[in-house]
Amino acid sequence: MALLQTETLTKAFGALTAVNGVTLEVQAGTLHSIIGPNGAGKTTLFNLLTGQFPPTSGRIVFDGRDITGTPAHRIAHLGLARSFQRTNVFPALSLLDNAWIAAFARGRSWRGLVWRRSDGYAEVAERARAALADVGLADKADQPAREISHGEQRQLELAIALAAAPRVLLLDEPAAGLSPDEMQKMVALVRGLKGRYTIVLIEHKMDIIMGVSDRVSVMHFGSLIAEGTPAEIQRNPEVRRAYLGGMVAE
Amino acid sequence: MLYALMGLGLSLITGVLNIPNFAHGALFAVGAYFLFSAIHVVGNFWLALVLAPVGVALLGLAIEYAGIRPLYAAGHDYQLLFTFGLSLILGEGIIVVWGPIGFSQLPPSILRGGLDLGFIFYPKYRLFVMVMAGLLVLSTWLFLEKTRYGAIMRAGIENKEMVSLLGIDIHRLFTAAFALGAYLAGIAGALTAPIRGLSPSMGVDMLGIAFVVVALGGLGNLLGAIAAGLIIGVAQAVVALYWTEASVAVIFAVMAAILLVRPQGLFGIR
Amino acid sequence: MSRAWLAVLAAVVVLPLTVRHAIATEIWIFAIFGLGLNLLLGYTGLLSFGQSTFFGSAAYVAGYLLKQYAINVFVALAIGVVVGAVSAALVGYLCVQRSGLYFIMLTFALNQMFYFIAYQWTTVTGGEDGMPGIGRPALLGVDFRNPLAYYVFVAALFLLSLWIMKRIVESPLGKILQAIRENDVRAEAVGYDVPSFKLLAFIIGGGFSGLAGVLYAMLFGIVPLEAIGFVFSGNVVFATLIGGSGSLYGPIIGSFVFIWLSESVSVVWERWPLLLGVAFVIVVLFFRGGCVEAWARFWSWRERRRALEGIAQ
Ligand SMILES: Nc1ncnc2c1ncn2[C@@H]1O[C@H](COP(=O)(O)OP(=O)(O)OP(=O)(O)O)[C@@H](O)[C@H]1O
Ligand SMILES: [Mg+2]
Repeated sequence: MALLQTETLTKAFGALTAVNGVTLEVQAGTLHSIIGPNGAGKTTLFNLLTGQFPPTSGRIVFDGRDITGTPAHRIAHLGLARSFQRTNVFPALSLLDNAWIAAFARGRSWRGLVWRRSDGYAEVAERARAALADVGLADKADQPAREISHGEQRQLELAIALAAAPRVLLLDEPAAGLSPDEMQKMVALVRGLKGRYTIVLIEHKMDIIMGVSDRVSVMHFGSLIAEGTPAEIQRNPEVRRAYLGGMVAE
Repeated sequence: MLYALMGLGLSLITGVLNIPNFAHGALFAVGAYFLFSAIHVVGNFWLALVLAPVGVALLGLAIEYAGIRPLYAAGHDYQLLFTFGLSLILGEGIIVVWGPIGFSQLPPSILRGGLDLGFIFYPKYRLFVMVMAGLLVLSTWLFLEKTRYGAIMRAGIENKEMVSLLGIDIHRLFTAAFALGAYLAGIAGALTAPIRGLSPSMGVDMLGIAFVVVALGGLGNLLGAIAAGLIIGVAQAVVALYWTEASVAVIFAVMAAILLVRPQGLFGIR
Repeated sequence: MSRAWLAVLAAVVVLPLTVRHAIATEIWIFAIFGLGLNLLLGYTGLLSFGQSTFFGSAAYVAGYLLKQYAINVFVALAIGVVVGAVSAALVGYLCVQRSGLYFIMLTFALNQMFYFIAYQWTTVTGGEDGMPGIGRPALLGVDFRNPLAYYVFVAALFLLSLWIMKRIVESPLGKILQAIRENDVRAEAVGYDVPSFKLLAFIIGGGFSGLAGVLYAMLFGIVPLEAIGFVFSGNVVFATLIGGSGSLYGPIIGSFVFIWLSESVSVVWERWPLLLGVAFVIVVLFFRGGCVEAWARFWSWRERRRALEGIAQ
């Protein structure tokens, strides 16, 4: 059974339908990519999945449970963690604290919230450090997030998502704005996460997608126009049309 | 109507400049005192009514230029502290110049006495103020809607980068908006003087109400401010008929109640 | 024990030897007030311009009970904390959904509402004349009418408050509030119900304000109308900012500076709030960043001069 699925999910911003009747199934343990041109509605789909705003219509089911309309902070507790396309970290906090915040939110209990010293949560700190180590930032744990480079902030973005020990990892263009070098590193990183987590990956660049994905869904003007294995997608004429400047796409 | 005038000015300032203007009430009070002194100097109510708010606008100009301009990048906390300090200075300055005891100001002779409207006996001056304030709100609104400069100001509320990109000097726009807001506060104060008299605390009392009007109308929502001003004014007048002491507190209670029911304010938040 | 704590302890001991007991006491009361605000302003990034709502409400309620029923001092303090927290919960509930200017204006407008209630409800509050006749009942045989005894009591409560606040900001809550200040969207996305946490910060801050309010009423034997007025709210913002809102100890420094400043200008001129206003404006225009930063700048300036002198030789 699919771990995460949507049924005719739709989101309209006034006259603009950013996500239009998307029905999608993400199987547990796979890396499922979502591609599509700029403005196709990929980020909006993530915002719906993570409860940033409620859908106009349709349903979201996570692990057999209807989570449509559940607020963002509760969805995070269920184990859906995301990274953001535009770097979205806690600038003045140390890298460790950035990850710690996410790790603590997923802790089993919030006992001692107001009173216990925050360095007394060994398990949380452990998870935060592990997440930083996973993305290769362990040695910068005590620096404030605003002082590291853009590429490193993209890695931190990922570490925050990992620290939550997610059941599904939603990654929104983790390689956005990276230099070719940094991009290589990021691709390797994502490849390393594959298999350990169920991953939904948004990406623009076909070459990245084709190398790592188990399945690929293509969005265009808010709708899914194709789904299949990377090889199938590459052969799909409709996808080619959409990517080559979209002559028609009703 | 006076509330609408205050709210409109404040909404303009908060909307365009994006600062918390805690000196708005003080500008209102200064308007009233300027009127009072101007009458003594020029000996004519009408001329004084023209001069006083212009004086306040000039004061606003100076304040924006010297004080607020360096603070645009400083964050709301320091902007707040500055305008708050300013309101202390202006409020205490009034006491230093005019003394701690309030004055009463008679309306001009042709507006004394009342008018029998058949069902109610209404003081002429109040009617005059209502009409005046109405005209002012209308003309400000027309200015903002119909003129080029007004359009730029509205654009300044909507999207500041856009305005800068169009090659308009954003600082000039800010100064102008602040001066216009100050002018509206000043004339509201001047018009109020013959109704409620003058007292050093009049500014602070008005400040709270102006904020309520803006909060209900929506930040930078000019029509919202006008409508909220009217609603608050009417609500207060009605309550005052039955329970005079509570009429001010009621304004705030009305605001709290409305915000409970409609968290986005009466006309939505921008 | 850290150096900061030693400095605070030293100040507690030295202060009553150098200034009048009443002023010394007021400084610590104001510092408690500032600690409460700083949880909102410094840690959560919420600029509340209505802190005197909680301070004043607590002062009125506990003051009234002290006056009418001469209740036990600790009961009065407890009531003050509760009233401060409850009023903060009410105000916070309306405000936490907003941000930016909207938030500031709302806290202020609600402050004005409480002010006008106090202003008009003269039978209880005394309106403009204030609510006089508040005693300081003896506790365990200690007569708090003795200024020094009361000073010691307040200073002890301040130290207790500081310790509690230190625990709070070093707890997970402290970190979460800072995360919310830094990026509330991300905080929500990783699993924190941001409005609830803001409300919690409000309630805790309100409790501290309430404690300060009761101590203030007992210090002067009266609750003046100003205690619930917006100038009071502005003063505590000023004190916290000038002390440095980025640090736990900032409000303490700010309280010193503010009380010292207002005491000195108030002897100079009857219209001292004007001078205070001028001071605000000057600080904002020229000394943004507060004492802590001014101090740091002074040090780096000295270091640089040393270095230059070193090169010269
Ligand atoms: N909060 C919003 N309000 C109004 N319109 C929005 C909002 N969020 C997104 N949109 C619009 O919805 C459309 C889809 O945007 P979205 O960000 O989901 O695209 P995307 O596929 O992620 O594109 P990109 O590859 O550029 O990131 C765009 O036209 C965008 O302007
Ligand atoms: Mg996107």
